[in-house]
Amino acid sequence: MSPGGDAGGRQPHAVRSALSVLEEVARAGPGITAKQISAALGLPRATTYRLVNLLVQDEYLVRLPDLSGFALGHRVTLLASNAVPDRERETAEILAGMRARIRAGVHLASFRHGHLELVDVDPDFPLTAAALAEPPEIGADPGAAALGLLRAAGAVERYVVCAAQPGYGSLAAAVRDDAGVLVAGVALAVPAPRLEDPAGLFALIHDDVERLRAVLTRG
Amino acid sequence: MSALDRAIVDPPRVAGVGERSPMAGLERRTVGFVDVLAQSVGATAPAAAAATLPALIAVRSGHSLLVCLVLAWVLVAGVGGAVGQFTRRMAAPGSLYTFVTKGIGPSAGFVTAAGQAVGYAFVAMFGLVGAALSVQTFLASVGAAASSAAVTGLGVVALGAVCFVVLRRGIRISARVTLVVEVVSVALLLVLLVTVLSRAGAEALAAPFRAGLPGPDGLVAGTAVAITAFVGFETAASLGREAERPFLTVPRTMRWTLIVVGFAYLLSAYTQEAGGVSFGLQLADNDVALSALSDGAGVPLLGRLLDLGQATSFLACAIASLTALARVVFSLGREGVLPRAVGFTDPLRSTPLGALAVVVPVTVALPLVLLAGGLSPWRAMSVLIAVSAVGYIVAYVLVAVAAPAFLHRIGELTRSALWGCGAVAVALTGVLGVYLAVVGGTDPLALSLVGVVVLGGGSGYLYVRMRQPEGFARMGLFDEPISDDLLGGR
Repeated sequence: MSPGGDAGGRQPHAVRSALSVLEEVARAGPGITAKQISAALGLPRATTYRLVNLLVQDEYLVRLPDLSGFALGHRVTLLASNAVPDRERETAEILAGMRARIRAGVHLASFRHGHLELVDVDPDFPLTAAALAEPPEIGADPGAAALGLLRAAGAVERYVVCAAQPGYGSLAAAVRDDAGVLVAGVALAVPAPRLEDPAGLFALIHDDVERLRAVLTRG
Repeated sequence: MSALDRAIVDPPRVAGVGERSPMAGLERRTVGFVDVLAQSVGATAPAAAAATLPALIAVRSGHSLLVCLVLAWVLVAGVGGAVGQFTRRMAAPGSLYTFVTKGIGPSAGFVTAAGQAVGYAFVAMFGLVGAALSVQTFLASVGAAASSAAVTGLGVVALGAVCFVVLRRGIRISARVTLVVEVVSVALLLVLLVTVLSRAGAEALAAPFRAGLPGPDGLVAGTAVAITAFVGFETAASLGREAERPFLTVPRTMRWTLIVVGFAYLLSAYTQEAGGVSFGLQLADNDVALSALSDGAGVPLLGRLLDLGQATSFLACAIASLTALARVVFSLGREGVLPRAVGFTDPLRSTPLGALAVVVPVTVALPLVLLAGGLSPWRAMSVLIAVSAVGYIVAYVLVAVAAPAFLHRIGELTRSALWGCGAVAVALTGVLGVYLAVVGGTDPLALSLVGVVVLGGGSGYLYVRMRQPEGFARMGLFDEPISDDLLGGR
């Protein structure tokens, strides 16, 4: 996208558009139409149609049986090994496993450099706008408020509990490096009755937290 | 992390995509680009068409071959554009009729299926008779065999049997053979053309450009015949399920087939005109134009080889057209429009056996009837190709109409697609009308065959609407994506 509009600048632009189309299909979920993709990305319609057809040709996208909707194709996995760093992929795998197994919203926050940053929010348990704001007001969201308490907790606590609102609350487990410095936190957003046995709740995720520690503190 | 990364590690569940496509039974995603190309090239049969069609066009248009060929080329490229709108988006063994059904409904789809069936079947018959005749010409030239209608008939039966065996085994072997034969034949043809051109005088070389325009009737009729030289290019679409990466392979195949055969035809037509002037040959309705040309150029051996290449090209044309026809019939069987038995596939070879068992005998039988009725093989061929052209053009018109409707339905219509397809539909409808009038005036037998087909198709339509309403409602089945195609599929 050089201002001079040289020929060499066009291809990378097309690649970026193609990736943004894939990203949009992933974000919106299966069934999104070409028209909707074009509207969401602000791309011209003819360009979008050409891009989705190219992506279908190369099997990165699949046109669904209704012929107007799209889903991600099997070739997208080829992007994974190159495009997604191993650490992110392994982290996402662990979180996906937790989300499939536990009836709770599972959110991951990073504490690197002392700042709390929401890294991966459970799409099925959305947080409030305030919690997602920049900087996040984590205390305003019962599903993630425990993460805010983690920072204030001592260096030995393995988890903290926060019943921020009647009937609803969260448990946050700490991920620490070998020196005991807080690296990240995993929050479980659950109904209040389940917070009455925090040790039992933590036992459910103990192994996952250990695996996250191994991945996030590696090299 | 991005939504894409998340989807990769935890793929979403996709509703409405199952383990099995309605077209299961045929091979899936196994036929490579070269073999798909061979299907389109084989069905188009450039070697045979480049050799014989200039003579057939000249009957209608006098000496304005080149103009007619260029017009036909442009129109067919437009049809290719319309078909490409579908082949980039769906894979359907029924090809054109399935596309039309998706665009403007099952009634138009039924008419397209009839047009396609007639187009493919009659061009396959044309190929069988042509192959038998070329073999005969070759044998006669080396002093064997007498030429009689009985011998031609025998040849048609034998070659029909060859087609059945090859098609039952699967398209891969036949496709490769087809491609080699076509490439060799076209190469031989080019050698002859260059030889002829090098021996023709300046006067003769300029003659094809001085021909001027024929009357509008001759021009349109000549264009319609010239279109038959290109028909078949779209049959790659019938391998949509069987092709690897079909949404890439099929449109690319159609595009390259059209480009290459178009140039071959122009060169061939130009040379035959120039050579005809140079050696004082009559081109129109001359079934041995190339042999005469090679004799005139002093290279008779090349002519004999070309006869052989032409015979194999005709046979390849029959095989490729039957390949497409069998998949149309198979698809109609799967939908329940035709009896379910024709939707049966060979469990070992994954070929449409039920459909082949119906279409091959029919394709052999009708030419035998024509020959038994006293038609010369060359005459029978010109009748068959005329009927085929009507079927093809009807199907092409409907595809051009259906493409914008389909794009509108799925929300992907662009202005250029609308105007392009509209222009093609209007122009082709005009060509069809004039062609029918001209055929009616010069070839009553072909016109009455068209009439028989229309009556048969009409009663078939009424029967299906009344007796097979479920089948009619199911029309438009195609090779749907299966869960394997999706991210996270096994």
